[in-house]
Amino acid sequence: MTAHPGAGPDAPPGAPGLHPFPGSGETGLDGALATAARLVEEKAKEIMSLRERVLERFADRLLPCAAAMAAAFRGGGRLFAFGTGGCGADAQAVAHLFRSGGRGLPALRLPTDVAYVTALGGGAGRVFARQIAALGAPGDIAVALATCDTGDVGEGLAEARHRGMVTVGIAGPGGERMAEGGVVDHLFVVPSSSVHRVQEAQATICHVLWELVHRAMG
Amino acid sequence: MATALATAAARRAGPGLAVTADAGRIARAAHAMAARFQRGGRLLTFGIGLAAADAAHVAVEFAHPAMAGRRALPAIPLAADACALTASGGNGSGPLTAQLRMLGRPHDIALGILGPGRPDGDVPAALAAAREIGMLTVALATGEHADRDPREDGTDPARASASPGTAATPLAAHLLAARSGDPLIVREIHLTIAHLLWELVHAFMEQPDLLVVEAPR
Repeated sequence: MTAHPGAGPDAPPGAPGLHPFPGSGETGLDGALATAARLVEEKAKEIMSLRERVLERFADRLLPCAAAMAAAFRGGGRLFAFGTGGCGADAQAVAHLFRSGGRGLPALRLPTDVAYVTALGGGAGRVFARQIAALGAPGDIAVALATCDTGDVGEGLAEARHRGMVTVGIAGPGGERMAEGGVVDHLFVVPSSSVHRVQEAQATICHVLWELVHRAMG
Repeated sequence: MATALATAAARRAGPGLAVTADAGRIARAAHAMAARFQRGGRLLTFGIGLAAADAAHVAVEFAHPAMAGRRALPAIPLAADACALTASGGNGSGPLTAQLRMLGRPHDIALGILGPGRPDGDVPAALAAAREIGMLTVALATGEHADRDPREDGTDPARASASPGTAATPLAAHLLAARSGDPLIVREIHLTIAHLLWELVHAFMEQPDLLVVEAPR
């Protein structure tokens, strides 16, 4: 993921130490470990409830998205996944899942080899757009993942739309920006101020989409 | 199709809640990782298949913090180089183990990711090599792995009748398990655990005096 000054995952800048809760009677390392464990419990519950909310909120949109992707695959389309930073790794997982899971559908992440990226990434904000221009064709699918910095990713989706691809955007707060100009057919914006929880919920959305695509293809 | 959606959340509830039961374990793993980083250690991450993507995610998480004010910590994903990955490891070892032996130093951290119901490839061998070198080993694994891992008292559930003196070797010093048989749900839980490790490593590093003490097992 890219740096998001002022929009950090869960806490204000300047990491707080793990100071024991006042009055807990725990001190030193024991206290810090107990505080850390409580933080784990809190965040684990946070993602559980976010996941539930997201699946409920997007139910009506996940089904048509899966249907459109299934239709594209049936027509011989290929899926291109991309994203920046940690989302780039998650895009790799999406491509691998479609390729290797279930019936094995043609999917790849946009090339990450440094030769390819530095050659095509010369224009600011255009690295994904140029890759889509080089590789994409009408009837293909573009799946873009972003947390809140959607510049390059939005350009990639715009290029994909321009080429007649099915465009899917999975984003965090501010993700609506990537949909400007009507370049995203299927947009999912995860409502959380935490970059981490956003990425975790995005993974669930991708996994459920994969499952629905398989059901739609029968 | 609608049914699939309805069950998607329900299927994730149990494994999600199981993370809270492992909170203490996750905290101890983060403490041990922070101590290694504090001494100049680096994080080496690896997994096969889907988990290779997550290993890459974890590495970039540490090397390029999402949060302003957090320092970048050295992290290397072992699957980033296609040459290394497709070359034969030599000595019969897999490409991950070969790279780990080449790059690992005693004060480093090895983080291996293992999913359910599929071969683990050379991830266990890479973790074993890391332990031999003296590295801290952390495994993001599954309930299956945890259940067949030697217990912390040194007994081995897989070899209950093993002759005394046969030392059972755990998969890693810190085994953090996602409790699901569904590889996709396991992946989601691993992502959450990795994010929590990152957050806690930074929190522990704010208190260096706590890093010279070993956490109780």
